[in-house]
Formats: sequence, structure tokens, C-alpha cells
Amino acid sequence: MNTEQLIQSLSSHVPVVPRHALGRRIGLGLLSGAVVTLVLVVAILGVRPDLHEAMHGFSFWMKWIYTGSLGIAAVFAIIRLGRPTHTSLRGLWLLLIPVLVLAGVGISELATTPSSGWLAMWLGQSWMICPWLVLTLAMPIFIGLLWSFRKLAPTRLRAAGAVAGLAAGAWAATIYCVHCPETSALFVLTWYTLGILLAAGVGALLGPKLMRW
Amino acid sequence: MQATEAELRAWMTDGLDGDAAAHAALLRALVPLLHSFYRRRLRGAEADVEDLVQETLISVHTRRTSYDRERPFTAWLYAIARYRMIDHFRRRKVNVPIEDVEAILVAEGFEDTSSARMDVDNLLATLSPKQAQSIRDTHIEGLSVAEAAARAGIGESDVKISVHRGFKALAARLKGEPS
Repeated sequence: MNTEQLIQSLSSHVPVVPRHALGRRIGLGLLSGAVVTLVLVVAILGVRPDLHEAMHGFSFWMKWIYTGSLGIAAVFAIIRLGRPTHTSLRGLWLLLIPVLVLAGVGISELATTPSSGWLAMWLGQSWMICPWLVLTLAMPIFIGLLWSFRKLAPTRLRAAGAVAGLAAGAWAATIYCVHCPETSALFVLTWYTLGILLAAGVGALLGPKLMRW
Repeated sequence: MQATEAELRAWMTDGLDGDAAAHAALLRALVPLLHSFYRRRLRGAEADVEDLVQETLISVHTRRTSYDRERPFTAWLYAIARYRMIDHFRRRKVNVPIEDVEAILVAEGFEDTSSARMDVDNLLATLSPKQAQSIRDTHIEGLSVAEAAARAGIGESDVKISVHRGFKALAARLKGEPS
């Protein structure tokens, strides 16, 4: 096909791209994945029976603010990496803020708990499955984000995959909170973070393969 | 004549608003830009250059969402062109001698030229249209005074005076004097 024919066929279909199309596209991918994850949590794992009371407590909001702030930061990183220019990741150190704040809460927990109870607090009842559940629940969101990236132009594929995995993991963990009964900050800091990092790692592995364009 | 950043950006923005004619104009204007971009980096591989130009046009079309209207168009374009070229090497499993890598990645130079062109555009915009046009014709596009006069439909001495006064005003502006 010669170039002029190509240009004519490309110009025969020129859909409108609104000003905030990129953010909308990412939001739509994220949201559709999150709906699937929420359905999985509600249908298979079940909502924790005391969710209503828990929502008045500190530990529920601590978990939500932690995973939610990681999720928001990761979405901003996706917006950057979805464009071919200005792909610096310098702002990502901000992710350390929620981690450090949660670590601070964890230390104060240790200080107010007798040392004989530390291990039980740290491992909770679900430490063996929590990271794997977060990783599994991240997959629908990750797939949604892969769909978002199909109209974007990432040039750093491994980094783009990693932040997509990070966002998927953080939002999956946020949704998982409606099931998970654990209350300790140390538990969240270790096992939630591990699950989110696993999701980011899977994203970094798959990014160069699945996000190529 | 190569399209300016301002022209490309206007076509791109209109295309994003759904104007198919502007989109076609944009893609046509990109062909010579991309040709020189790739020809400079893939010496002698004419067929590959042709493929890359077409692939880049397709990418520009399908990845339009990733363009930020607030930012320069050419920087976005060359970032896409560079990605297409690296992907091209990867697919063909071409090994590039390390000495050539630098030449391949000199897109920054392109961005500098394009931002320099934007600076020139901004400066010329402060002059009267006649002065700006005369300077552009004779000093940027390299027309002779006679050609510039014929194009603008004014006398040759008018062109010379416009260029002279325009440069004087620009010099004053660059020295920080109010015009």
C-alpha cells in the first residue's frame, strides 16, 4: 500500500478524542476490572459479617487509606507512562509516605502489645493466603488496564507493566478489605504490601510482552 | 517547505476534535519529517524507511489519545518515531554497533531544533506581519529578496527595509529594551 492510500484510509475514520480521554480511558479500564474483582470477593470470599461496625473503626480506615493512597499514586504513574514523552518516575518515591506512616502505626502497635502477642498479631489468621488472594484479585484490574494501554503509547514497557501491576494490586487490596477481618497494621504492612508487590512484579514481567505496540 | 510546530499542532488538535481533513493534512505533513528522521538513522535501507514511516503514521493515528494538547506536538511525534525504530530493530533482531547507537538516539537534537523553531516563531510573532514574513522568507526559508518581494506582493526595497527594521526590533527585544 502506498503512503497516500494509507493516509486516506486512516483519515476515513477520525473519531473525536476529548481533552481528558487518556484519564477516562485509564479510569474505565480500572473500573471495569474493579467491578469484576468486587464480584469475585462478594460471591466467592464473602463480605465480612461485621463490615458495618468495622467501618466505624480505626483499622478498617487505616487499611483503606493505605491501599487507596498506593492505588492513587500508581494511577498517576500510569498517566505519565501512558504517554511517550516525559516518562520520568521521579515522583514514585512518594509511595514511601504511606508505607512509612503505616510502619509508624505498626511500631505504636508493638509498643502497646505485650511481646508474647507480637507473632500472632503479625501473622493474623490469613497471612498464608492474603498475598496470594491480593495477587489473584489484581488480575481482572490488570487486564482492564492492559485494555486501557491499547490506545496509549508507553515507551518504557517494563516500568509501565510494573505500575499497572502496582495499581491493580493496590486497588485489589482495597476491595479485598471488605472481606479481610485482619486489624493489625503490621499485618497489612507485611502481607498486603507483599501481595501488591507480587502484582507489580508480575506486571513488570508481562509488560514488555503484553504492552508492545 | 516543512510544516512548523504551530501548524502541526493546530492540525493535530483539529483532528482530535474530529476534523478528518485536518487529520489527513497532519499525516501528509508528517511524511517528509519522518522520512528525514529515519533516513538519517538507517543509512541506505530505503525499504525499511518506507515501512517505518507508514508504521509511524499508523501509530500516530491509533495512539492519538496519548497526546497531551498542552505539550509540544513534535516532541510527542519523535518519541513515537523513536519507539517505532527501536521496536523495528528488536523485531528484525538487528544488532546495532555501539558506535551507531548514539546517532540513532539523537532525537533530542530534533527536539532542540523544534523548540528553537518555536522560540523563533514566538519572537517573530512580536513583529508586524510584514516584518515577520520578510525575515522568515529571506532568512529562514532562504528565498532571495526578489522572490520574497514577489511572494508578498511588495517592492524589493520594502522587503529589505522590513528585514532591517524587524531585526532591529528583535535585537532591542533580546537586549531587554521595551519596544
